[in-house]
Amino acid sequence: MSVDEVTEPALTGHDGGVGSVPLLEVTDLRVRFSTRGRRVQAVNGLSYRLEAGRMLAIIGESGSGKSVSSRALMGLLPGTARISGSARFQGQELLGLSEREMRRHRGADIAMVFQDPSRSLNPTMRIGTQITEAVRAHAGLTRKAAYDRAVELLHLVRLPAAERRFHEYPHQLSGGMRQRVMIAIALAANPKLLIADEATTALDVTTQAQIMELLLELQQRLDTAIIMISHDLGLAASYAHDVIVMYAGRAVEYASAKRLFGHVRMPYTQALLGAIPRLDRPPHADLPVTPGQPPDLTDLPPGCPFAPRCFRAGQECREQEPPFTEHEAGHWWSCWHPCEDTVGAVQAVDTVEAGTGGRHRRTGVAPHGATEGPRA
Amino acid sequence: MTASVTQPAGETLLSARNLVQEFTARGRGGVKGGVVHAVSDVSFDIRTGETLGVVGETGSGKSTLARSVLQSPRPKSGEVHFQGTDLMRLKRGRLTEARRQLQMVFQDPFASLNPRWRVTEIVEEPLVGYRVPNRAGRVRELLDLVGLNPDTFGRRRPHELSGGQCQRVAIARAIALDPALIVCDEAVSSLDVLIQAQVLNLFERLRRDLGLSYLFISHDLALVKQVSDRVAVMHLGQLCEIGPAESLYRAPLHPYTVALLASIPQLDPGATRRPITIHGEPPSPISPPSGCRFRTRCPRAQERCASEAPVMAELAQGHSVACHFPEHAPVPAAAAGVRGQA
Amino acid sequence: MAMVDASTVLRTEEPRRGRTWLRHVELAVPVTLLVLVLGGCFLWPVIGAVPAPVGGNVLDSNLPMFSPGHLLGTDPNGNDVWSRILYGGRNSLIVGVSVNLLGLLVGGTLGAVSAFLGGLTDTIIMRVLDVLIAFPSLVLVLAVAQSLGPSQLNTIFALAFFSVPAFARIARAATLSLRERPFMAAAALCGTKTRRMLFRHIAPNIAPQLITFSMLGMGVTIVIEGALSFLGLGIPAPAPSWGNMISEGQQSLSATPMLVVWPCVALFLTVLAFNLLGETLRSRWSDR
Repeated sequence: MSVDEVTEPALTGHDGGVGSVPLLEVTDLRVRFSTRGRRVQAVNGLSYRLEAGRMLAIIGESGSGKSVSSRALMGLLPGTARISGSARFQGQELLGLSEREMRRHRGADIAMVFQDPSRSLNPTMRIGTQITEAVRAHAGLTRKAAYDRAVELLHLVRLPAAERRFHEYPHQLSGGMRQRVMIAIALAANPKLLIADEATTALDVTTQAQIMELLLELQQRLDTAIIMISHDLGLAASYAHDVIVMYAGRAVEYASAKRLFGHVRMPYTQALLGAIPRLDRPPHADLPVTPGQPPDLTDLPPGCPFAPRCFRAGQECREQEPPFTEHEAGHWWSCWHPCEDTVGAVQAVDTVEAGTGGRHRRTGVAPHGATEGPRA
Repeated sequence: MTASVTQPAGETLLSARNLVQEFTARGRGGVKGGVVHAVSDVSFDIRTGETLGVVGETGSGKSTLARSVLQSPRPKSGEVHFQGTDLMRLKRGRLTEARRQLQMVFQDPFASLNPRWRVTEIVEEPLVGYRVPNRAGRVRELLDLVGLNPDTFGRRRPHELSGGQCQRVAIARAIALDPALIVCDEAVSSLDVLIQAQVLNLFERLRRDLGLSYLFISHDLALVKQVSDRVAVMHLGQLCEIGPAESLYRAPLHPYTVALLASIPQLDPGATRRPITIHGEPPSPISPPSGCRFRTRCPRAQERCASEAPVMAELAQGHSVACHFPEHAPVPAAAAGVRGQA
Repeated sequence: MAMVDASTVLRTEEPRRGRTWLRHVELAVPVTLLVLVLGGCFLWPVIGAVPAPVGGNVLDSNLPMFSPGHLLGTDPNGNDVWSRILYGGRNSLIVGVSVNLLGLLVGGTLGAVSAFLGGLTDTIIMRVLDVLIAFPSLVLVLAVAQSLGPSQLNTIFALAFFSVPAFARIARAATLSLRERPFMAAAALCGTKTRRMLFRHIAPNIAPQLITFSMLGMGVTIVIEGALSFLGLGIPAPAPSWGNMISEGQQSLSATPMLVVWPCVALFLTVLAFNLLGETLRSRWSDR
């Protein structure tokens, strides 16, 4: 099953026909916190569109603002947050809604799955009760109907021995199973959008693969749109339709996965790809290194936030922030000196020969000697 | 550009034999306590100048293995020969002496430093513990080696440093006594990707300049392959496979290794996703399955796997696996049949 | 120069007040109050002219407030009330500070060493302390004070005896959790000796909790001392303490209520100051 079944990226708006309203449209989202007398600009201008049934990956390191932006959509930020911009869900504005109005959206329209299932589930309640609670919050069902629905959901997320697990406590389940329960709770009211905030980060790689396959399957069956927030570019490449890369609260690159990984433009994205451990590298190879630290969000320098660490930075990069615009069809970026097209992100890396049936063959790939950046 | 280091010549620096470590699980909220078989009969060698990577998921026992090698806490049984001496037999004072050239870098950079101490005090501590003269000069030298300016960073406390900087301080402390072997327990796992690359390069540079050997523990397979000469794969306390990094990744023999490799997300959106070969939930470490502990999730499991625990056998040059039906070996149609061997 | 990122912000449960002046106020108020109390009790009698707290002339008894030479009047024995408040504060505060200091040092060390060494030592020490905690403390304090006889020193010993287990419990819990932290394992690998571990690793890290507890305990101790003196077992007459002033004053409560009110006010302000300070320190130190 390949990721690019829908070859047209959502960004050009060709999906769903002319004049269709995208499921979610975020425009120039900005979030500011005041903490201990200092201002943190956590999100500094984020825009994207999401159609129904597609998966968008928001990739960034810590401090990039990826989690904060999604919590802003759900109204989960503390009261001290100052949010501006627009986020329209099926045409209706989400930002600035009262708590009561937001509660109606949460679960029924947008649901969220968090990173650590052991902290998101109540350890003193049986998991069945937690699911029925979510089910009944949005539909006034009888206890029997809620139970049936809960078991149905557990089957949907492929939890083994669902009827038995219904009566168990979270600590009796493994991490992967708990995350399935979290997904079941999130799907209780048939949301149209599911936000997975680092949902697989705390899981083992084998469990992560299972959960990602589950999410894909659910997406196809229920036509749910998914926003996957992660720091793992590999996950984005393997599972997402579209990818946004964030840095210091800004979107720096946005394209369909196929486009982005084939034609990286933003030096930061390229640096990320260069730094990710790769199976085809010879052992003890020197990694292309990006010097410096992530910027201090309370004290952002003028110009492009990545400029202090960017090997392509010029004078204008330090003075003026590059605009985030669609420089090529279906490909947005924010850079004064983007990388050339010849520097492809993935040069024969991990391209398993399609159809060879070899499940683990990585041989035959000539190790590419070119590095994607200078050594620090 | 570095040519990949082939089989480094060197005598055996560390030799672990039949390590066993168990914990009593504390009963929690209704779950009865039991014995966690964290490390079960693990043996391996590390040669001078070599990096051995240990890969495994949660509950595989890899971190416990690291602690066992260092004797903190001492494993239940087994032998750990370091520079010719069996650490398992030594008492406190002698152990401290024998362990001088064995150091560790921990996963959480902040938690591995005393929050109330300053950077210079932290780096100085091993010099104090082993009574090394001229501490101040040595501390400056060490901070320079790890890329931290002593004047800027010396007086700072851990909460004034970033994760990557804290880890550098931890590394400076670890190399203070000129160690021969450093155990890195998920040392870069909690760092951001770009910072991770910086720290990995630091590890490499120190390895070349100071002639270090590493025991590198991680759950990230690609990471381990990148830094190691040889790799060991652990599952639920047992050693599944051990061999040269290249051949282990190119031609893995153990079904668990195969499953792990298949689960790694690929960086190419156009590529076909590999089917998942592993099914079911990881078993409990308190009551692991009999025989081979992977059999409940293994696509190649037969009856024999339940009754007889597989033994490490060398199937290729330096490449051993503990499996009755390793990859590239035919799985018999009838149960308990001929053991397929290359 | 801490690295502030959005994830740090998200972890904050309560919205942090951005205004720094509030943070200064919550420290300034208790500190000022304490400075006033301590300064008043210990320095004023030395600097200013204050009549003696004992040995007053019966002829001067029960003078009202604002009498010449007696700001707050006199008590039935002719002693100046203001002076007795100040000197009484000295005695009460000495008891409070000594008890908590002893408790912190003895109890803290006991708990930390017990947790660090573990095993049989830990079990024995903790069981002994458990027995102590199990007894109803006030009754036993009374019994101990009764058998030792009323004096300031005996009061200190009696109260300290019962504050040690509480400090030990806190120190032990803090040390146990500290022992598991990676930096302790790293210290062991550095060849650090046990004594250095305790003094340089454990002690600085458990000190904040112990100090905060002692602040909050200060108030309690002074009140209990007051209760002891009230019952005639604390600081013996004619030496003043806030407790025995309340005790004597209550005999003529309806006629001269102010004799009770003034020491109560002093007690209240002092305990309030210690509690506020303890609370502020706790919230400051748990931020890090």
